[in-house]
Amino acid sequence: MSTEMNQPMQPEVVSTIAPAKPKRMTLAEVQAKLANKTGRRFWTSLDELAEQPGFDEMLREEFPRQASEMTSGVSRRGFMKVMGASFALAGLSGCTKQPDEPIYPYVKAPEDLVLGKPMYFATAHPFPTGAVPVLVKSDAFRPIKVDGNPEHPVTKGKSDAFTQASVLDLYDPDRSQHVLFEGNNKSWGNFQDALAKGLDGLRQGAGLYILSETVTSPTLAAQWKAVQAKYPAAKLIQWEPVNRDAARAGSMAAFGEYVDAQYKLEDADVILSLDADFLSGGHFPGFLPLSAAYAERHRYEEGKEQNRLYVVESMPSVTGFKAEHRLSLKPSDVEKFALALAGQGAAPAEAAKFLETVKKDLTKAGGKAVVIPGEATSPAVHAAAALINAQIGAVGKTVVYTETVNPIPSQQNADLKALVADLNAGKVSWLVILGVNPVYSAPADLNFAEAAKKAKVIVHHGLLVDETALIAHWHINKAHYLESWSDARAYDGTLSIIQPMIDPLYGGKTAHDLLAQFTDNPQSSGYDAVLANAKTVIKGNFEAGWRKALHDGWVADTAFSPKSVSAKAGSITPTSVPSGEYEISFKPDASLYDGRYANNGWLQEVPKQVTHLSWDNAALMSMETMKKLGVEETEMVELTVGGNKVKAPVLMVPGHPQGSITVHVGFGSTIGRVATGHGFNAYAVSTSSAASWTAGSAKKTEGTYDVCVTTVHSLDNRGSFAQSTVASVGMAKDFSNTHSLAGNEAMTRGIIRYATVEEAKKNPGFAHEGPGLKETPEEDMSFFPDDWSYKHIDKSSGKLQNAWGMSIDLNSCIGCNACVVSCYAENNIPVVGREQVKVGRNMQWIRIDTYFEGDLHAPKAHFQPMLCQHCENAGCEQVCPVGATLHTPEGINTMVYNRCVGTRYCSNNCPYKVRRFNFLLYSDYEQESLKLGRNPDVSVRSRGVMEKCSYCVQRIQAAKIQADKENREIRDGDIVTACQQACPTDAIVFGNINDQASKVAKRKADERNYGVLADLNYRPRTTYTAGVINPNPELELA
Amino acid sequence: MAQVFDRSSNALARASLVITGLIVIALGVALNQLQRSPWVTRQGQRPDQPVPFSHRHHVEGLGVQCQYCHTSVEKSMYAGIPPTKTCMNCHAQIWTNAEMLEPVRQSWATGESIKWTRVHDLPDYVYFNHEIHVNKGIGCASCHGRVDEMPLMYQENTLQMEWCLNCHRNPGKNLRPTSEIYNMAWTGPTSDKPVYCADTGVSGPTSQGVVCSTEKPEGPKVALLQESAPGARSEGAVAPVIKLPLNYVKFTSQEDLGKFLTDKYHIRTPNELSSCEVCHR
Repeated sequence: MSTEMNQPMQPEVVSTIAPAKPKRMTLAEVQAKLANKTGRRFWTSLDELAEQPGFDEMLREEFPRQASEMTSGVSRRGFMKVMGASFALAGLSGCTKQPDEPIYPYVKAPEDLVLGKPMYFATAHPFPTGAVPVLVKSDAFRPIKVDGNPEHPVTKGKSDAFTQASVLDLYDPDRSQHVLFEGNNKSWGNFQDALAKGLDGLRQGAGLYILSETVTSPTLAAQWKAVQAKYPAAKLIQWEPVNRDAARAGSMAAFGEYVDAQYKLEDADVILSLDADFLSGGHFPGFLPLSAAYAERHRYEEGKEQNRLYVVESMPSVTGFKAEHRLSLKPSDVEKFALALAGQGAAPAEAAKFLETVKKDLTKAGGKAVVIPGEATSPAVHAAAALINAQIGAVGKTVVYTETVNPIPSQQNADLKALVADLNAGKVSWLVILGVNPVYSAPADLNFAEAAKKAKVIVHHGLLVDETALIAHWHINKAHYLESWSDARAYDGTLSIIQPMIDPLYGGKTAHDLLAQFTDNPQSSGYDAVLANAKTVIKGNFEAGWRKALHDGWVADTAFSPKSVSAKAGSITPTSVPSGEYEISFKPDASLYDGRYANNGWLQEVPKQVTHLSWDNAALMSMETMKKLGVEETEMVELTVGGNKVKAPVLMVPGHPQGSITVHVGFGSTIGRVATGHGFNAYAVSTSSAASWTAGSAKKTEGTYDVCVTTVHSLDNRGSFAQSTVASVGMAKDFSNTHSLAGNEAMTRGIIRYATVEEAKKNPGFAHEGPGLKETPEEDMSFFPDDWSYKHIDKSSGKLQNAWGMSIDLNSCIGCNACVVSCYAENNIPVVGREQVKVGRNMQWIRIDTYFEGDLHAPKAHFQPMLCQHCENAGCEQVCPVGATLHTPEGINTMVYNRCVGTRYCSNNCPYKVRRFNFLLYSDYEQESLKLGRNPDVSVRSRGVMEKCSYCVQRIQAAKIQADKENREIRDGDIVTACQQACPTDAIVFGNINDQASKVAKRKADERNYGVLADLNYRPRTTYTAGVINPNPELELA
Repeated sequence: MAQVFDRSSNALARASLVITGLIVIALGVALNQLQRSPWVTRQGQRPDQPVPFSHRHHVEGLGVQCQYCHTSVEKSMYAGIPPTKTCMNCHAQIWTNAEMLEPVRQSWATGESIKWTRVHDLPDYVYFNHEIHVNKGIGCASCHGRVDEMPLMYQENTLQMEWCLNCHRNPGKNLRPTSEIYNMAWTGPTSDKPVYCADTGVSGPTSQGVVCSTEKPEGPKVALLQESAPGARSEGAVAPVIKLPLNYVKFTSQEDLGKFLTDKYHIRTPNELSSCEVCHR
């Protein structure tokens, strides 16, 4: 016997599990690889374009390989210890009985309440650019879902991501719950006393300053008038960090007064956007009507002329990628372009051809064209747009000017500057701050926090005890809009009534309550104020009119009528920006807006459009800028503007203009458990000018920060498939070194299919032709016996059975994320947090895939919502060892959560990567306030369970029960999925594909209908309609 | 070396093998039985309640109809537990000093709910819906038993998935006319007590499509039958509720009645009814 064998075996001790860190390529390597890549090809991320080995490794695992391990924060051992007790419980619970459950019936039941049936009430989600009228689903008087009001002329039932997520803010556990005086709990009465005493000392109100968020409520404006009558020397300053100063100043320059422009895209054949990101979400004024009208005109139908969109923009956006022609210019060049188009000055050289073509097209359209200036631009762009619109005869046709949604329009940054001057001069004794957080968000050059300390008393009114509340003497906890009486103007001016859905959870106060304190009648409530204002608006019988307004959610015939104004043809003053190395452009975040939604987990986690950033912001720039700065992605740069500095991680964005850096505001707050510790505060370098960009410098600095980008984690290993496919069509030459490039598959396997109008007219079947495209094999290849043909005839009705299916029109999808947030609310989807998102464990049931195409500098992009395809021959079902995922007779691929044991085989076998696994206990079982907001019709899933899109099976069941009770068939449109309901452009349609008259069946009958990866013979029930674009033949395709 | 094991050990070894096997089987059987036992299912248990409410007294004794308290049973997934107000409707007048009712008066005075213990408690991942069952011919007693004979409420059936599927796989055997839903004593037709049913031809809610009677349709109904022969009715006459002559069919077994009602009530097929998403989502 050898001696070695006698030695005790040394077990290999693995003390830590290091997350695999794929080697990052340097910029030079990427560029070298990209040097000879041209031609039409798709890609989803930069890593992929460069065919990085690490990336390939990432794809090999169904979840990136770190995903199956513990991440920092909890060690594996610690986790086992903590969870030991609950594992034991979980094991036993199968054999033990349930605990006793109490029932607490009402003492007096409310009239009209039928427990278990939701009620719907109309109200409006207030937003600085105009309220979004909504219909709130209320379960036992707890608001649980906010959707657009289907009867309202503006929203038509559609909504945006902010509106969808606003219900979570109501239940935010961080909400301020008390009136505070210097940090101690006080009562509202205490505040009233203190205020009354304080006001006694103010003559005519001198020294009383009210700093309010943008007023969109006519009632609040009326109340302010009353305050002003009593205290003539008091001042109202409206200010928000993201404001419409550029539009206001532009309007003043062009028209000599403040007007709002309303665009009628339904009548526009040609649209030019000057950095106007009007398709990306609720932050753009009138997003819902604009996107709906754009999509309607962009549909490709017989006998209908498609519109054409040109975009000149300073940051790649969904609007730019939806456009037929996109030109990327830095902010100052966008302004030059606008001025040149208006006939003043010259456009930058690279834009000359674009400008000429656009000009020709705009003029040719004969009034059926429109120019939309962006919010984050400069007054000059707005003035130029007004002038061009007048020149091309758009005014009165595709654009009308009305009075402003804000009843007291102002230029907010200038007002704030004046306030700071007064503060510094010691003129301010009472500073009442309503709903804004200037200590966090005021432009850095004003140094607001220092100045505010010179006020004698600061009163802060807000939902959170935020940065401003911390320096304020008094803090008044604000009532959420779902708890408040108020009113607001919608985009078209319609007066919408905001009514409470629930008693204030923490006794919060509204701005109306606060302003009432300065009037002769401090006890009058918000309801009294709204009622008083409504009396001036509602015509005819007031009682009936008021009841109708509450029922409908708005007062009829209150939309603004067009104003006749004409743009002065004088010269426009270009923006003067101090010279600097880079233009630093500030934009509202697509998810957090100005930071008001920073503590909202749904919005934080939703991957942003184009960048796919989740939980983070970054300094966004082009590859050339990166090279100039000598930085790699994830390294830090220091941005300097006028002496203020901020450190930011770098992220390269395909198609970003050179010479400018874009930062999104709203991050870097230190208040709230969700907001804290994510991103950097871009306000730290912002300026108080009306333009949204400024000059600054940037340099590489110490440190790295691994930004959280979700682009790659949901792709799988389809490499060998792709290679063989590529080789088989003789294209191997072009793609010889590719591995699992989902982007290449987007073309070779037809994940994304589109054509130009001319191609589509020549060849209507284009979506099914092309190299490498394989179609669904014939029926006889089905795994299932004939029982599963979905052709059963119902005995009693003589009709074909129901077969649920979905169709998504890629021509209409604008990638706005409303569907994703709607799905969060409907299906109780948990928020997992940044660390978990980084390892690919985010739980969204629907995601928006972005496929870039073409040149890195001027790419095109395609958006594709991806959710469970409910395959008829589903691969997931074949491999589940416990029958936890199976088929229903109507063709839904259903999950039985209580059967799932977490093998994840199903996810491994899913080619679409739409199954999400609950690795840890993501749902919050502890927080009482969050429980109120959950949908009672959907299980709150625990850990160790696979979940995925269910086609909103709870809604299907509800519709079935209703139809069965009435002994009828389910009608087309009875079932609306949550994503479909939210979609502003009607891109998603759901219904019975066996009913030839249904919308979904008609869409599926279209020649452009195709299934993603249909050649696998999985027979997906969700199919897509190939896009058709309408480019100008005089310009090269973007 | 001496033999360690005696020859008799062989028998012992064989026996122990058999016994081990038997123990394993017995354990399995025991666990299986335990899982189905009333200890787990709570079948037949009467939990302590703040008020010893007697369904027998109120239903059988006083003739209070189910929906007087369980108001939403026909229109919602929940049948509804009555608010204190419902108790006080009567008990503000009668038994106003009964000690037994102290919790009710307490609740009424303080506005605090009476805290009942749930008797019929399904797991949270089961989405049971009362309205569809009641509207499609499943009577209260089919699941809850003779509540009218229960002095204290208890769970009659196991309410386990096996029990649910038993009916979902063959709904006909428990179907009854919707007019008999709240009839606690309904036993189904027999040759001694036949049931007569007719299709009214009326479309709309389930209850309007079929009329049933436990008495032989005679008297006014027969008169109606004779009167309204096609074309016989004069114009302008007051239209009777049931317009056409009704062809009553006599049922003497639940099986036949079940088949008839399954068809007339458009009960979904067992294949559809036993699909997972019907109860789990």
